[in-house]
Amino acid sequence: MKEECKKYFEKISEYLDDELDDEICHEIEAHLKKCRECRECLDSLKKTIQLCKEAGKETIPSDIRERLRSNLRELLKRKLK
Amino acid sequence: MNRTTNENSDHHLIAEFKAGSMEAMEKIVERYENQVFTFGLKMCGHVQDAEDIAQETFLNAFRYLARFREETKLRNWLFKIAARACIRKRRKKKCEPDKEISLESFVHKNGNHAKYEIPDWSDDPSDNVLRAELKQVIDAAVLSLPTKYRLVFNLRDIEGFNTEETAEILGISVQSVKTRLHRARLFLREKISNHYVEGKVQ
Repeated sequence: MKEECKKYFEKISEYLDDELDDEICHEIEAHLKKCRECRECLDSLKKTIQLCKEAGKETIPSDIRERLRSNLRELLKRKLK
Repeated sequence: MNRTTNENSDHHLIAEFKAGSMEAMEKIVERYENQVFTFGLKMCGHVQDAEDIAQETFLNAFRYLARFREETKLRNWLFKIAARACIRKRRKKKCEPDKEISLESFVHKNGNHAKYEIPDWSDDPSDNVLRAELKQVIDAAVLSLPTKYRLVFNLRDIEGFNTEETAEILGISVQSVKTRLHRARLFLREKISNHYVEGKVQ
């Protein structure tokens, strides 16, 4: 990886999260225009984040939800007595 | 319900709790049980551990809620307690110390960039089997992250807390959140891509 690419590689997540100053954002965008490899690197990271977000959607199973509620109800009642 | 409405009604529930309402406690559990349980599941990978974490989180929360001054949102405060419960659980299991993920390990020194193949997440119901398999690969990759990186990744990218909130929940600096998140994402990209390239997910 070239030194210039490496410098921006460290900042990609902050760039994707919109956490960088305008100045460095413009620098990165100028670099991306001329560097296909960095564009691919950015795209694959963006895709990874999106994929993990989609796969990360979960729901508590109803039997566990009921057990948790009933255990908590019992334990809390005892504590309050 | 949007976040502001939620925060307003959280405020009412806390006030009712402080006035001794058992119903307010139940409403708080109903509102946050799913988020706290799934966070525990993503941190530990076991349903039983996630259930223990959820129970411990709510018990601790109600123990201290009377003294809670709402300097932070109720949701953030609950995740702070849940994150501590996850860390305690890990200590009890006497796991090895956290490994560091170095940025250098992702930088290829031969002048080339690595190629990554990341599959798409299909919303087509006919792709259920494929999705389930892909989800397994992703869940395993997340679980293989060292704990301190997994905590940041789950809070930021899965639970949607911002950088400052994550720093506050974990009691670390904003810069540490940014560094750990970037490395966690790079680590996950490599794991998922390797699996995909090896043909385990077609």
